[in-house]
Amino acid sequence: MIVAAALLLIAFAILGAPLFAVIAAGAMFSFYRADVDLSVMAIEIYRLAEMPVLVAIPLFTFAGYLLGESQAPRRLVRLTNALIGWMPGSLAVVALATCAMFTAFTGASGVTIIAMGALLYPALAQAGYRENFNLGLITTSGSLGLLFAPSLPLILYGVIAQQLEVGRGVGIDELFLAGLLPGILMLALLGGYSLWTNRAIHQPIQDFSWREAGAAVRQAIWELPLPVIVLGGIYGGYLAVSEAAAITAIYVLVVETLVYREVGFRRLLHVMHESMVLVGGILIIVGVSLASTNALIDAQIPMRLFELMQERVSDPLTFLILLNLFLLGLGMMLDIFSALVIMVPLILPIAVGFGVDPVHLGIIFLANMQVGYFTPPVGMNLFIASYRFKKPVAQVFRATLPFFFILLAAVLIITYWPWLSLGLLGR
Amino acid sequence: MPTDHPVLRRLLRGIALVEDGLLIVLLALMIALAAAQIFMRNVLGSGVTGADQLLKLLVLWLGMLGAIAASRGDRHINIDILSRFLATRARLLCRLVVDLFAALVCGLIAVHAARFVHTEYEAGVTAFGRMPAWITELILPVAFTLIALRYVVMFFADLRRLRGGTPP
Repeated sequence: MIVAAALLLIAFAILGAPLFAVIAAGAMFSFYRADVDLSVMAIEIYRLAEMPVLVAIPLFTFAGYLLGESQAPRRLVRLTNALIGWMPGSLAVVALATCAMFTAFTGASGVTIIAMGALLYPALAQAGYRENFNLGLITTSGSLGLLFAPSLPLILYGVIAQQLEVGRGVGIDELFLAGLLPGILMLALLGGYSLWTNRAIHQPIQDFSWREAGAAVRQAIWELPLPVIVLGGIYGGYLAVSEAAAITAIYVLVVETLVYREVGFRRLLHVMHESMVLVGGILIIVGVSLASTNALIDAQIPMRLFELMQERVSDPLTFLILLNLFLLGLGMMLDIFSALVIMVPLILPIAVGFGVDPVHLGIIFLANMQVGYFTPPVGMNLFIASYRFKKPVAQVFRATLPFFFILLAAVLIITYWPWLSLGLLGR
Repeated sequence: MPTDHPVLRRLLRGIALVEDGLLIVLLALMIALAAAQIFMRNVLGSGVTGADQLLKLLVLWLGMLGAIAASRGDRHINIDILSRFLATRARLLCRLVVDLFAALVCGLIAVHAARFVHTEYEAGVTAFGRMPAWITELILPVAFTLIALRYVVMFFADLRRLRGGTPP
């Protein structure tokens, strides 16, 4: 009966049913079997109003959308160019760094490929990079930066892990710190590959000039304090995540609409609306998953799964290998938010049972998901890039393959070298 | 079909206008309140009483209103693999099943949420300050009813397309 219901729900999901409805149906089925009054659904979803950290989600998302709508990406690229453009082959590195920063603030919802890609793709072509390299680079960059503060998936992982109360606690500030070195590792590997594969391009984009650097700084002068305030505040421990989000939202709002005046009133309303559609899509999934998580725990499913795993898998290493394979597959199928709310409640207790630190698991999970975004044949960003740059999907596959293997290597290093995630935390 | 009726269509458009307006006003309120709270706390030393609770409540309301808006454009997060490989007719059939499933699930949640809100109203529970809990919870049955309604509308629209043979 349970198996049949589960299969039916998976079938609905594959047919394209909204995932929140699938999760809600699963939770209701489970409560119904346990003789729990179904008004519990309302009580569980209402818990969205009881977690202060969730305030960060609408505020950061709005700020990210507004930044994407303004000329901020252009200023960011100009500035990075002015600072490191004298290095031969540096444009690829510029692209990687700016995309990572942009994604950290906007979440990996494909916004990066659309907003930054429009800017960087032609620029890369002009600088003499091969078409397939550019295509691969931009597609990969669409999910780069997920591990850096204040990315929404990191926050969401923290929220879910806190609900579960297993193992050592997980602070969101700890996750922000933990993602730093793994994120830098990914950037460094991709940057190194880009420089090496394009070593034939000797021409620097531009010579370093104090004038251009000064002009670029002056142009972006209003946006420059933002990362400093937000990242400094969060990493320095001065600001709670929700406070950082509030400052970001009000700051970006004032700067883009009143100082730069690049987003008019009508546009602003549109941005507010669009960003809240995304937020609604995420929060309703989080809301129903609060119910499904409790249903799972009531039915002791995570514990049974752990016992089942323990019979077959004896050492943590094998567990981690299986986890990597599973998460890569999952990342292809599910978007990161659904994957988090569905899988973390199941996987976290098992991982803790095998001695994996919950913070480390979060970084492993997101790193895997990040690669899953462009894993052939169905990673979502492959299709966004194919659509955006009007190239056949097969070409995007091929173009992305070298980047895929590099980040896969990064994921393996991150998985099997816990210090990289936990060293800065001293745990 | 009933969903083609001009009165119903006007009604839905009117509701959509209210939804969008409320969504934007509440987001603006959230930004202003969150910023004011930080200012008060750091400059005056104490925040506005109840502001933190109101902020948390706004998360729920914004989330639900956003979810209604997402359902209107059929923009909820889903697995979008199969439809890429299906022919128009098969895709429409899939959508019919999915629309019906989503409408049923949301309708069921709406009914139970309404029951919950009713009990809270009868019991006179307060959320924070003197705010009655049933008002803060009201968004749940309302949102899930509207989302269910949107999927019913989509179901009939897809049914019409299936008959007419036009792609979604």
